[in-house]
Amino acid sequence: MSDTVKQDYAVIGKSVPKIDGREKVTGAARYTADLKFPNMLYGKILTSPFAHARIISIDTSEAEKIPGVRAVITHKDAPTLKYGISPARWDENIFCIDTVKFVGDKVAAVACIDEQTCYKALAAIKVEYEELPAVLDPLRATEEDQPQIHPEFVRNINAEIHQDFGDVEAAFKEAHYVRTDTFVGNRTYQTPIEPHTATSMWDGEKLTVYSSTQSPHYFQYYIAREFGLPMGDVRVLKTYVGGGFGGKLEPTGLEFGGAILAKITGRPVKMFYDRAEMFAHNRGRHRQYMTITSGVDKDGKILGVHADFVMDGGAYTSLGIATAYYAGAMLTLTYEFDNFRFDMLRVYTNLPACGAQRGHGAPQPRYAFEAHLDNIAKDLGIDPMDIRILNARRPNTTTPNEFLVNSCEMKACLEKAREMSGWDEKKGKLPKGRGIGVATGSFVSGAGYPIYRTDLPHAAAMIKVGEDGTSATLYTGATDIGQGSDTVLCQMAAEAMGYTYEQMKIVAADTETTPHDFGAYASRQTLMSGAAVKQAGEEVKTQMLETAAEMLDFPTVDLDIRSGKVFSPGNESVTLTFEEVARHFFVNRGPLVGKGSYTPPKLGGKFKGAAVGTSPAYSFAAQVSEVEIDEETGEVNVLDVWDVHDCGTVINPALLEAQVHGALFMGLGESIWEEVKFDDKGRIANPNLSEYRIPTAMDMPVVHSALVDSYEPAGPWGVKEVGEGATLPTMGCFRNAIFDAMGVSINSLPLGFEKVWRAMKEQREEGAAE
Amino acid sequence: MFLPDFDYHAPETLAEACDLLRDLGPSAKILAGGTDLLIKMKHGLVTPRAVISLKALDELKTITHVPGRGVVIGARATHNDLVNSPVLHEHFLSVSEAAHKMANNQIRNRGTVGGNLVNAIPSADLPPILIALDAWITLVGSNTSRTVPLHTFFTGPSCCVIDPVDEILTEIVLPDQPTTGSTYLKFGLRRSGALSVTGVAAAVTMDGDTIVDSRICLGAVFPVPVRAHDAEDVLRGKTWSDELLAEAGEAASCCALPITDIRGTAEYRLDLVRVLTKRALKRAITEGHV
Repeated sequence: MSDTVKQDYAVIGKSVPKIDGREKVTGAARYTADLKFPNMLYGKILTSPFAHARIISIDTSEAEKIPGVRAVITHKDAPTLKYGISPARWDENIFCIDTVKFVGDKVAAVACIDEQTCYKALAAIKVEYEELPAVLDPLRATEEDQPQIHPEFVRNINAEIHQDFGDVEAAFKEAHYVRTDTFVGNRTYQTPIEPHTATSMWDGEKLTVYSSTQSPHYFQYYIAREFGLPMGDVRVLKTYVGGGFGGKLEPTGLEFGGAILAKITGRPVKMFYDRAEMFAHNRGRHRQYMTITSGVDKDGKILGVHADFVMDGGAYTSLGIATAYYAGAMLTLTYEFDNFRFDMLRVYTNLPACGAQRGHGAPQPRYAFEAHLDNIAKDLGIDPMDIRILNARRPNTTTPNEFLVNSCEMKACLEKAREMSGWDEKKGKLPKGRGIGVATGSFVSGAGYPIYRTDLPHAAAMIKVGEDGTSATLYTGATDIGQGSDTVLCQMAAEAMGYTYEQMKIVAADTETTPHDFGAYASRQTLMSGAAVKQAGEEVKTQMLETAAEMLDFPTVDLDIRSGKVFSPGNESVTLTFEEVARHFFVNRGPLVGKGSYTPPKLGGKFKGAAVGTSPAYSFAAQVSEVEIDEETGEVNVLDVWDVHDCGTVINPALLEAQVHGALFMGLGESIWEEVKFDDKGRIANPNLSEYRIPTAMDMPVVHSALVDSYEPAGPWGVKEVGEGATLPTMGCFRNAIFDAMGVSINSLPLGFEKVWRAMKEQREEGAAE
Repeated sequence: MFLPDFDYHAPETLAEACDLLRDLGPSAKILAGGTDLLIKMKHGLVTPRAVISLKALDELKTITHVPGRGVVIGARATHNDLVNSPVLHEHFLSVSEAAHKMANNQIRNRGTVGGNLVNAIPSADLPPILIALDAWITLVGSNTSRTVPLHTFFTGPSCCVIDPVDEILTEIVLPDQPTTGSTYLKFGLRRSGALSVTGVAAAVTMDGDTIVDSRICLGAVFPVPVRAHDAEDVLRGKTWSDELLAEAGEAASCCALPITDIRGTAEYRLDLVRVLTKRALKRAITEGHV
């Protein structure tokens, strides 16, 4: 076990109620789309009906004549500077100039006095297109006869990765057994409940944007860049956000188009996507084609792994370069092996652009690897649990791609999952139609490097104690998108200050009033934002103790503060309230403020792409699931899931469990139902919640969530991530349970009912033929 | 998406509603629960100049048992009215169960049985069980009233025999009958809010272990809900066994002509018809009206 540092904390480690729970439950919370401003206009974007076409002409004259239309804009009214979120590939324009590259690509936009008028105006814009052949099959995208989507990216290759660590060929030669498997992933979409919205307004040369964003900072940076503005003249802030899951990390046409429309009209402009437009904007999970070869010794110890992948990037890069690297990089974490080769092609297609979705590039490769490992275990007659425990990563180790792993309880997670699920009583002993499967996962607790190159700290925080000490306000750029970071960070602030959670207030995620933070992605905020908050709280505490010492004429070193009370351990006569001390400080010295910032240590190797996947700390998880298969219909019924996590110290157990449930909910959907489908013209066939099926409450299995003792030295109070890591094992876990139940391997996602039915049918037919 | 402008009428009597419909002609639409009509209007698929709401006609909302006639279901009864009806629980629990398999709770609170039938979607969940129970319906016009056996009501996807410029569907009648059991099995791709990939309803009249008669109706595998007469023929007069029901399942597949769409292939649906038919029969035979 790790060096578990158990302390009696006053505020952290407790399931305090969410700081915004009351507002949300009563409906008082105002989301971005609820905001109204005087003279506000409504804006909508006209998008391409073709997957690939040349724009011959755009005639906006009829639209401009419609009463209530205040502005109609095209590429002629917009900066032509290409943007994106991955600096390696800025390849997107605010509005298409020569060609449209997917169904949904941005062509024009309107601002009108109401929403209805917007639709009339969009219908009146005449765009003449010359339809071009489209690239719709990612596996054919690089062929010579395929159309070229971006002239500067030959053969539609968006990114090509070749990483080689150790000697994979030698490992395969030495191996007792080498096996290759191929798997295919699915295009899925984050499906946040809140549609994207942005309201833009100008005050002179200063632009303010209210947006449903995961990262005010990246929005501010890229909006300022696009319009040539100093960052100080762009203010991005949010109210409540109804989920992001990676899809709200980058500014969209709503922010860029809205800023132009607001500038032209001199009025605030609210822009938003409806559900179908959200699907078209996408930036969801890439579909990956994954071939994995591994060599193992006779006990099943993994000697070397070669991952050879292709991913469908869609028409633009979005965050896809990082996704492509993550896909391979994260494969080295849960099991120890020395030799690893990773080849990847991210190709452009004339389909909506893919980006980061919960777990980033890692969940599909993890599914592939966990399925592959079960195949190997079966071939060698090894229990799938045993082969994982044998290979499980140990603490204080380094992966072949040079990630430093401090705390790691992979083996303990597996052993606990084995015990909780009754694995040994069930494996191989369940009635036909029932099966049990296991898989692992690991994820970063914040990326080691920001998305664009900068030496800014990753997180910063400031705490201002109220003048009479009855409240304290935490100012942080950390972004609560529903996961509860405002709550957790206030707990951390109160703990560090010796204060109470109930007296904390928070101002967050506003580039003007709060200190810089990169925002909610890569599961970074509890560790990184938390480290800055802890430092700020401790600075307040130090000043409080100095003041109290002065007031009491007592040595500072003999004083402490806890839950709003100043005391001296062992001397009960010495006591002051936090309020008394804080007020004294303000009267004599002015505002009582604490500051903190966090920069991770320099991490990673020197090879190309070495930065992606680095992190100060990694979470680890094991999942076991039990499924029941209807042998005649293929229906998959997930009965129980056991999730065991190593996520370091827990700040709020209830919120942690909510993250596990939420991640499992998304993982379940992606495993069995979710898939964005296209027709032969590249149009989305199911851009709605009726035919893009996310699970309902009725579909959720019984979830048993547990933790193992763990303390992460790199995190404040020993914390690590949980939000994304719990998505990783799920798909492989279900595949392996189906494999156990029916002996059929479903080699593509989702593991839909008809797919299971077909696999069983083929199995029967093969059986009959033999 | 917005509702376009339209005139709104909420007549107080059925006669008034029929007169309005006749007077306004093809530009008018009847509004019951609105779960289909309003969505179609928002998408511009139908553009009525007038909407005639039946909301004031409370007499169309009752579910009663009329001795000699059977169970009479008002066309405006919502799906959840069916789900919660003590009358249905007593006589045909299978209809309540079928209604409960539809859509989600919000839709079940709004959508009506009449709307579900007139909308005539091939995958609708109520027609198969109602047809299996030999239901007939009443269509009332300004000067007419006629009864139609439900199995002859549907003429194609979104098409039925109602005269859209004159008639209003007012009631569904499940006649008193000798059937001893009935059930509807729905195969959807998740447990709530999913349209049927295939649905099969079966009603049986048993004499001990002998199947005196049966009615089997298939949903979502033909342009209209379709009786599986071939399967019924297999069963008639026979002593039931798992083998016999499997044979009926095979026969039912021959009565289906499914399409391949986003929810499933024709091949899969055909096999689901086979499986669901034998399962529905067994349930109806062994468990009664469930």
